[in-house]
Amino acid sequence: MKIEVKKNILARNDTTAAENRERLSRQGVCMINLMASPGAGKTSVIMKAIESLSGDHAMAVIEGDIASEIDSLAIEAMNIPALQINTGGSCHLTASMISSALDYLDLDSLDLVIVENVGNLVCPAEFDLGETGRVMIASITEGHDKPHKYPTIFKEVDAILVNKVDLLPYCDFDMASFRQVVEDLNPDGAIIELSCKDGYGTDEWCHWMKTAISESKTRLSS
Amino acid sequence: MHEYAITESILEIVQTEASQAGAIRVDEVKVVIGELSSFAGSSIEFYFEELSHGTVAEGARLVFEELEANAICCSCGSGFRPRNAFYSCPECGSRLFDLKQGQELYIDSIEVT
Repeated sequence: MKIEVKKNILARNDTTAAENRERLSRQGVCMINLMASPGAGKTSVIMKAIESLSGDHAMAVIEGDIASEIDSLAIEAMNIPALQINTGGSCHLTASMISSALDYLDLDSLDLVIVENVGNLVCPAEFDLGETGRVMIASITEGHDKPHKYPTIFKEVDAILVNKVDLLPYCDFDMASFRQVVEDLNPDGAIIELSCKDGYGTDEWCHWMKTAISESKTRLSS
Repeated sequence: MHEYAITESILEIVQTEASQAGAIRVDEVKVVIGELSSFAGSSIEFYFEELSHGTVAEGARLVFEELEANAICCSCGSGFRPRNAFYSCPECGSRLFDLKQGQELYIDSIEVT
């Protein structure tokens, strides 16, 4: 017997993601899904945001890694609540993992949750977590050809942080060509050049985050 | 690797549908994959064999149907088939297009006994 199913396989993740988004918007909380390859500087970028924003905004961090608590311990050392999700081999976070993590956070008192996704440029782009904003990092050492190789993620984010610009003199990274390709793929995406090492661009990155936080609050009051 | 999570969802849907139909065995599962989705049928097959052990879907045949992509260029409005997310419009060269079809991932139907 044949049964017509016609069911979207990602439907369950999408439903949970929508629930997460609704939950965050009820409390006016901004949640950023931060994606990048391993070693691009996700944790360093989060730590820069904590340094600049935690004085004025209540923050928490959700760390996604295949294994270890290294990142969440580093964040906790800065007196910011950090939850570690170990995916146990899975290459991305899912909406249900975030839903469970949100249960542990006091959303009432938070302005910003940063989710550090598992280091990977492919799978995280396919799984909606219910975030209010998507940010990716492309670092100088990875090369300027990455938007050619992983166009989907470059298309789907709200901001692209180009990290490690202090290494530009030592690498053959063609910033003009990188910017051109990213602008072609994603004309609305903000491109922010950054160095977590010397602090270059931190103001611009934190300004972007502050705007995202206030947009979440505005949505709440409207 | 992300096919593991996908295969778990496939099994969940298949088991629900089979139990609603009172089936004792699932013979075939037809999955439609858009050609621009990043899901590989061969990986789904691999995980399906492992995950379906001891379920009503054990031994079921997986059939994949690939759906061709089609898109409308956001700049000049012409229709074309993008071969990847980095594709340019063959008419005007713009990389901005509205994908109408090609990222699907759904279970079309199942055959049960």
